[in-house]
Amino acid sequence: MVATPEIFDVLQTIPDPEMPISITDLGLIEGVEISDSAVHIKLLPTFIGCFALPAIAEEIKQKLGEISGVESVEVEFIYEPHWSTDRITNAGRASLAKHGIAVPESGSPCPSHHEIETVELTTPAIPCPWCNSHKTTLKSPFGPTRCKSIYFCNECRQPFERMKKV
Amino acid sequence: MNELDQKFHDPLINVLLCVADDKLFLGHRNSDWTGIAPILEADIAFSSLAQDDIAHASAFYELIHSINGQNPDQIAFGRNTDAYRCADIVAQDDEFNWANAIARQFYCNVYQYLWLQRLSNATWAPLASLANRICAEQAIHVDHITTWMEHLGKGTEDSKERLQTALDLYAPSASMMFEAPEGITSLFEGGILINEGCLFTAWNVCVDNILDGTGLTIAVAPCTGIGGRNGKHDADFAHALSELQEVFSTDPLAAW
Repeated sequence: MVATPEIFDVLQTIPDPEMPISITDLGLIEGVEISDSAVHIKLLPTFIGCFALPAIAEEIKQKLGEISGVESVEVEFIYEPHWSTDRITNAGRASLAKHGIAVPESGSPCPSHHEIETVELTTPAIPCPWCNSHKTTLKSPFGPTRCKSIYFCNECRQPFERMKKV
Repeated sequence: MNELDQKFHDPLINVLLCVADDKLFLGHRNSDWTGIAPILEADIAFSSLAQDDIAHASAFYELIHSINGQNPDQIAFGRNTDAYRCADIVAQDDEFNWANAIARQFYCNVYQYLWLQRLSNATWAPLASLANRICAEQAIHVDHITTWMEHLGKGTEDSKERLQTALDLYAPSASMMFEAPEGITSLFEGGILINEGCLFTAWNVCVDNILDGTGLTIAVAPCTGIGGRNGKHDADFAHALSELQEVFSTDPLAAW
């Protein structure tokens, strides 16, 4: 029978279709269940109904299906526990930063847990992933994918993306 | 609690349709702005909001599917006009007037956030879990529209006046968001949903907080009469529905 570490090794090689990070470093995998030759993966979507999900599920089925001893692969999307940016590993954070994508610090508060308040247009607390300067401005709370916002660094004059805190 | 007594199926599906249909049509309307919003950031934002809303609607149709086994696409696109449960404000034609789009978004976003917050306290776990998760994304919508209300309210006399006109225009249809869905009382009494008091009052407090200092005012009356939540829709809704159903009714079995 195939062993769980072997499954994880393969999952580690599957990149997110929209970001330079593996799906394991992104914290998407919540559970791996193996019974005989059947593998059941429990996966947490980042954003509800993210359009990359079908592609990720297909890739998982294909890659795990290639392991000898694996006959069938099932991918289940679950919402409990919730995916959060806190689940991104340090290796994942480093990889994203290298490509100019900032990630909220682990454990920082989530907007939904506060009273509704206004977004501050100047957000000095967010360091630029290129030069670490805190002189950054939120340009658009919405970005190229549903999970990211767009910022601009006033120090190195570069735009960068940041994952939304959920 | 993961099991749901059969007697709660119909009323709960009705409440879920209200949420899902609101999201589907608001998303559809917001997608009208893709490519033509006044500034690039607004274009990206409204396209992103539309994607969020339609994804949220889809998740709620899936949840309905888990109760009654109906195909989610069929639920979304295959019903007659009077079987849709959205409040008509979500489908109002904004005539490509940006102030109208912002006013509609403001009324709906705050309502959706507060209602989802309450649904996340449901005792039926699959609903609580989904609503709680969507709330985290909905908070971003509310933050965003709050910023717009401040920008336009505190902008120029012209921007303030235009937005105020739009807020007044949609005030009557905003009140119909609060029309009670059929059977909701049985869900409160049966302990499936928690009755946390008047949603309209909570909404008023919240919108007043956001508008405080912007110089904008709203006057939305309590809901009276029968409207979209009970299947009685206006011409704008009928038009939006025919747009949405165009592909589906051409070939209902097409693969998407």
